[in-house]
Amino acid sequence: MTVARRVRLALATLALAVPLAAAGRAGDTVTVAEKVTTDARADAAALYHAGSDALSRGDTGRAVAFLLAAQRIDPRARDIRANLAIAQARAEDVQGAAGRERVSPPPGIALSPEEAWWVAALIALAGALVGGLAALRRAGRGLFVFGTVALALGVLSWGTLLLRAREEQRHPEAVVVVPVLEVGPAPDEQPRSPYLLGGGEDVRLGRTHGDLVEIRVSGNAIGWARRSGLWRVADAARYTPAESR
Amino acid sequence: MIGRAALIAVAFAISAVAIPRASWCGVSASGALSIEATLEPDHVAPGEEATLTVQIRSAGLNLPDVGVPPLPGVAVQRAGTAQNFSMVQGRVERTSTTVYRLIPRTEGVVTVPPLRVSVGRDHAETAPLTLTVSRASAPRGTAPRPPRGGATAPAGTPEVFVKATVDRPRVYWNQQIVLSLKLYSRVDIIGDVDWKAPSTTGFWTEGLGPPRQRRVTLNGVEYAMMEIPTALFPTRTGTLTIGSAQMRFRVARVIQPPDPWSMLAIPEVVPQDMSLTSDPIKITVDPLPPRPPPGFQGAVGDFSMALHVDGPTARAGEPILARATIRGTGNVSTIRDPEIRAAGAARQYVAGTSTRLDRSGDRLIGERETDIAFVADDPGAVVILPVRFAWFDPEARRYRSQSSDSAKVQVLPGNLTESLAGRPTPGAPVPAAPRRARGPFGRLTLDPPGGSAALVGFSVLAYAAAVATARARRRQHRDPRFVRMQSLDSLIARDLARAKALVAQKEPARAAVLAESALRAGAGYRFNVDVAGLPRAEMFGKLRARGAQESGIAALESLFESLEGIAYAPPETRSADAKAAIRAVSDKLGRYRRDLAR
Repeated sequence: MTVARRVRLALATLALAVPLAAAGRAGDTVTVAEKVTTDARADAAALYHAGSDALSRGDTGRAVAFLLAAQRIDPRARDIRANLAIAQARAEDVQGAAGRERVSPPPGIALSPEEAWWVAALIALAGALVGGLAALRRAGRGLFVFGTVALALGVLSWGTLLLRAREEQRHPEAVVVVPVLEVGPAPDEQPRSPYLLGGGEDVRLGRTHGDLVEIRVSGNAIGWARRSGLWRVADAARYTPAESR
Repeated sequence: MIGRAALIAVAFAISAVAIPRASWCGVSASGALSIEATLEPDHVAPGEEATLTVQIRSAGLNLPDVGVPPLPGVAVQRAGTAQNFSMVQGRVERTSTTVYRLIPRTEGVVTVPPLRVSVGRDHAETAPLTLTVSRASAPRGTAPRPPRGGATAPAGTPEVFVKATVDRPRVYWNQQIVLSLKLYSRVDIIGDVDWKAPSTTGFWTEGLGPPRQRRVTLNGVEYAMMEIPTALFPTRTGTLTIGSAQMRFRVARVIQPPDPWSMLAIPEVVPQDMSLTSDPIKITVDPLPPRPPPGFQGAVGDFSMALHVDGPTARAGEPILARATIRGTGNVSTIRDPEIRAAGAARQYVAGTSTRLDRSGDRLIGERETDIAFVADDPGAVVILPVRFAWFDPEARRYRSQSSDSAKVQVLPGNLTESLAGRPTPGAPVPAAPRRARGPFGRLTLDPPGGSAALVGFSVLAYAAAVATARARRRQHRDPRFVRMQSLDSLIARDLARAKALVAQKEPARAAVLAESALRAGAGYRFNVDVAGLPRAEMFGKLRARGAQESGIAALESLFESLEGIAYAPPETRSADAKAAIRAVSDKLGRYRRDLAR
């Protein structure tokens, strides 16, 4: 078999494999109904305006939820970052936790999730091209190593983003939108002291039990709370005026 | 007749000597010395005590002493001695009364041996006395005690005893039990009772006030009773044991004078130290039923809750005090404070908690207050959310809960709020302005875009394919047969192409030389032998040695000759022959390559 024939065979394999790789996401547990509501493209400006309005009304919980959603789409926007910082600071003031240190992403490398996915994919592609061509052309070993490292970096970044997406699917990020949310034990659990969450607190959700949802903080389940007191950040666009209409 | 009377007398005498009694008086032959021993009661339970009173009477100044020998299984304690002196019609008589306490440890019959006294030639002794130790209440033959307060004590009833009781032997976890430690006494107790509390491992203990005293009648006998009640709350489930309690006290024992005429017939009072121990008690503690209601934090008893808020209005910046009060019967000290929450308050503080216990009753009753202060910074409303309290009612055997109403407090502008109204707080960040345009648009989920997944998949597969191809190539290049085949390709592509070009340029001689060189090299590649520079015969010999067939060698020789002929032929005939010869060489080399590729 000549080299040309081998290359042709490899390309044919790729042409078959790429759609299969893309179809691999079919194994995800996202239901059709969820995709209808979450795959729609949201307007960062609408979310920003809704968050700013809530902030001006003193509704810090909803303000944090809207602005966190807006920041997901437009993470480098100064106005969103500024108003989100104000909303979170007010929420902490109300909760009496003003001294708590808050970690904010540096402005230079802030990427939206979609951008991060594409950047990782492009890095992987560039690495594959450089490394592959260097291997085929018998170019310098340095170029091959550079391409391989770039490909590995891109794939690792992509994998990290995939893990984050999985975590978001299993434990979606949510914000407390009521002034005080009581987090207590489930009806079939041993009684314990309830834990109170203030409006604007950022938590993650777990299992559901009727009207209750499991609340997770820092990877640990702290109890159960009413679903109505929480908004998932991914669903925030449904509560904007534009979506309501 | 005389014989019959003598027989009765002898039988009486034998019985008087041989049969132990509870009381006996022995008199010396002269009648000047006598000793009398009395055991009371003569039937006791193990641990209870009997009193042995020994009275010695002697005419004269000499009064002997007597001791009770050690008795197996019985603790003998000398409680005291009283002496009396009397002179009647010029005759001196002395008496002494010694009291012993006999405390048997085990059941059985204890025999007190005869007690002997001697003065000069006079001897007197008592008969053996018996003490029956049994838990069965079968008193017999003991002299009734003098009535006290009009009541007559039945025979065998103890003078002093201690008893520990609980109000219920089976309870739930953390349910209240009242342990009553009671001291019953028919004799006067001198001073205070020193008592050692029982061990209560596994219980939360709360005393129920100072000892209580009253008079009770048991089996028709009146006793003075001292009761020490204690509330116990089991902290474990299973079978728990309340240990023995110990009471130490001193009783005044009254000893009647033997001679009603001596010392104006005033009875002697002898103090006697006593120590009594109660029996241990076993308590069965059941766990609480499953599925407690929300908010249950372990309270067991009978409770009620009330919520009190300062007032309907407050000023911003000033505290609003909400107080939850829990009252009831149970272990109030361990009740966990209910959660008091408010909506609209900027801050909240625990203002204080307090617990009050009422130990005066038969059961422990208490009240616990929790004060939470809420502070609102801005005017508006603060809503004290309903407070819920749940507990387990052991009498009803079910959980109960109570929830208060919510309370709304109107927050009026305070001094601080009014002073800051209308101007921004110095240094406070100002919200950013609204946007004029829509967008950007994006997805809120963190799922990967389909294109990026395809791109990453393609990248990985392309890279893998390229690397695999490169490795395959390298592996081929390490194969000598492949290298020879590639050299043949190079000959065909480079040397023969140049030879054709030379023919086109009317230089067939040079073309023939070049083709001959290529043919020689190609034959060497085909048969893997170096034939460069060898004479033709030697070359053919080497090719033959490497497996070339004779037909092939003949064809090769023919080609060489034709090429050689072209090199020396006339110029006008060379070109056509050169083209044909070069084509033949090309075919030959192509055949060689195919041979190698197989």
